[in-house]
Amino acid sequence: MAVDTAPAPALVDERAPARHLRAGIVYAVLGLLVILAAVALLGDRTTTVAFDKTLTDASWDAPTRTVVLILGVIATAAGAWMIAGLPQRWYKIAGAAAVAAVVLALLFWAYSQEGTVFRAESILAGALFLSMPYIFGALSGVVCERSGVINIGIEGQFLMGAFTGVLVANITGNIYAGLAGAMIAGSLSTMLLALLATRFQVNQVVVGVILNLLALGFTSFMYDQLKKADGLNDAFSVPVISWGPLADIPVIGPVLFQQKLFVYVGLVMVAVVWFLLYRTRWGLRTRAVGEHPAAADSMGVNVNRLRYWNVVAAGLLAGFGGAWFTLGNSLAFNKNMTAGLGFVALAVMIVGRWNPLGVLAGALIFGFTTQIARDLSAAGSSVPGEFLQMLPYAVTLVVVAGLIGRAKAPAADGVPYNPGDK
Amino acid sequence: MSDSTATTEAPAEPPAPDTEGSEPKPNFMRLFGGYLTEANSVMVTIYSLLLAFLIGAILLIVSDEFTRSTFSYFFSRPQDAWYASRDLVVESYTSLFEGAILNFNTLEAYRAGDAEFGNLLRPLSETLTYATPLIFTGLAVGLAFRAGLFNIGAQGQLIFGMMGALIVGFSLDLPIWLHLPLAIIAGAVAGGALGAVPGVLKATTGAHEVISSIMLNNIAALFLVWALGTAFLHSETKSDLVSKPVDDSATLPTLLSSLNPSLRVNLALIIGFAVAALVWWLLSKSTFGFRIRAVGFNEHAAATAGMRIGSTYTTTMTAAGALAGLGGAALALGVSSGGITTNTALDYGFSGITVALLGRANPGGIVASALLFGALKAGALSAQPDVPVDISTLLQATIVLFIAAPALVKAILHLRTPRGGLVTLEAKGW
Repeated sequence: MAVDTAPAPALVDERAPARHLRAGIVYAVLGLLVILAAVALLGDRTTTVAFDKTLTDASWDAPTRTVVLILGVIATAAGAWMIAGLPQRWYKIAGAAAVAAVVLALLFWAYSQEGTVFRAESILAGALFLSMPYIFGALSGVVCERSGVINIGIEGQFLMGAFTGVLVANITGNIYAGLAGAMIAGSLSTMLLALLATRFQVNQVVVGVILNLLALGFTSFMYDQLKKADGLNDAFSVPVISWGPLADIPVIGPVLFQQKLFVYVGLVMVAVVWFLLYRTRWGLRTRAVGEHPAAADSMGVNVNRLRYWNVVAAGLLAGFGGAWFTLGNSLAFNKNMTAGLGFVALAVMIVGRWNPLGVLAGALIFGFTTQIARDLSAAGSSVPGEFLQMLPYAVTLVVVAGLIGRAKAPAADGVPYNPGDK
Repeated sequence: MSDSTATTEAPAEPPAPDTEGSEPKPNFMRLFGGYLTEANSVMVTIYSLLLAFLIGAILLIVSDEFTRSTFSYFFSRPQDAWYASRDLVVESYTSLFEGAILNFNTLEAYRAGDAEFGNLLRPLSETLTYATPLIFTGLAVGLAFRAGLFNIGAQGQLIFGMMGALIVGFSLDLPIWLHLPLAIIAGAVAGGALGAVPGVLKATTGAHEVISSIMLNNIAALFLVWALGTAFLHSETKSDLVSKPVDDSATLPTLLSSLNPSLRVNLALIIGFAVAALVWWLLSKSTFGFRIRAVGFNEHAAATAGMRIGSTYTTTMTAAGALAGLGGAALALGVSSGGITTNTALDYGFSGITVALLGRANPGGIVASALLFGALKAGALSAQPDVPVDISTLLQATIVLFIAAPALVKAILHLRTPRGGLVTLEAKGW
């Protein structure tokens, strides 16, 4: 990439030290708080780390106070370095180190209670699995919004996918037919949004929210009706795919090579959507339509037709993500079982800045948060379980508030395009 | 909208100008027919209702096992399928009507002298009871709409209002003329505090209020579960997740219980009408309301005129939250004064969205649509085992889908575009 760009006048000297007063103070104060807490609150507690799936007998006891102290010092040092001034390119690395140190310190602290074990492999594998609905939902959002259609209705498409997946699997007795059914159901429900957004040019946010309500009402209604008959809402589960000897490698094995179909499809879809968006003609047209539809139109792209098919295709992804809730978790359908995760997926899309790779990173963070919250509340943490369950929502709130000003949405996102009035 | 008018092939559509002056005296039937086939807001509302009930009927038929079985031999005996479908739909909608407006069995009994007049009013009282919180949440969503904000957070704000009113309702010992107003205000303050958050976030960081208020809904629901378990709120006599009861001096008096003790409708309904009138005054007569509408129409123009957009967002969302909080107070001090549970809030907040959309964000329309959806809810809850309770959500969502997309109704029924164009509601993107 770098070959065809002439050396631009350096606006910012990458090596010149620069001060980051506000960020530095925040990180330093956080680090000092961690140190203080370690000295004042943590006695001679220990944190047990275990690789519970591959090396079942092995476990390590780490002295919590020492580890937390070291992590606190790292965070403080990173903050102090920022205050003193550091080369520009080190700024992000120092920030990431400080955040990671604080998070790790909190984790060590949380898992230092009597009887809790940090089961590293289960937790990481679970985190990857739990990030899947976010990946599918957010990728679906990316495909819609890159072409300029806001899809608030991901929650509803999840519900439709979750419901139809189980229903079709029960009728046909075949789980893969169920997956296909879920995708089609998701796609049919986005088709309505696509039609309304392109042909009838309605307000996409309003209709998206109504479509959520419609999906909630429809699935709950059908759930009650079908409950009367037997054998239409039994749990089906997708098999775990184990990659033979690869699955026995510590940490990597259980996390990457012993997962359900959803995980592999999700990871492949991240790569596929990224490739399609940035390396193909379709992707270029999609991005053009999302940024400046009139310009794309003048180059011969049929704006509304492209948007229509993009939204319909995005429904396939969201429907598949919906099937995760039932088929992926081996659960029968239940009313409102998606519990607002479709909206969290939208936040993941914003965190990922409308880019599939960013979506992957954001989804992993949210999956990890959810997994830790579940694990801690199952282990009997002193923090009430309800507050742990709030964690993903609270993180979403903070992230959306902190990032959206800086993360730029596609310029024509949510603006209906009417070829007649340019 | 030009391309959609072009694609509409209305067969009976006369050339547009001839209704103007060439015809000397258009007779009444002709004008009436013209009105019926025009996509103005009244007819779109009526057609939306009809279409939604039609779709609801189709879903009832498709999802009912017995009726579906009659379709398996449709070609040999079509009348079976027809009668089964007709009976199912008529029975379902009749039981909705009986639960919401007038029960025919009670009417028979009353005629025979076996039932009191109060019994006859019971379905109506239930309708009004369920409509009361919807008036408040509908106003909460509708007020925000006028400023171009989409407040999906009414559910969380209602939950906070419930808790605020409850805490003042049982913890203070005051005479009724002071206690009741204080408890109601506490509900409004708690709801307003939660409503302010998305407003402040939108004003300062640009975070979209849809996402932040949805997150606050989830947080508020979980917070309620936790709070009900604490010793401060948890009932002293019951073991399940119920709060303490509200003092008698903070309970909203019922309106009709002298007729029959089962008539639950209470003072909150009257407060709801009064608040709707207040919101109407606020929106159409006050400076604050003018600012809200100006920002909603065009924020750039409003900013150019010297209005502060950010503070308008904050105050509007706070006011909207306070309205939803009043709805919570109406629940906690009214029908659930014996103690609130996690189930007390039902889906009043989300239904508030549909109420506001159907009422087109006008206080009068909101009251009317709250009554309609209250009737749907009362009917669905009373018809429950025979008809799935979620038919009310389904019908509501279908109705407002058509309301929000008048172009769809126009295209389905081949209606004409009215003079001023189609009326829709706006909320802004990211």
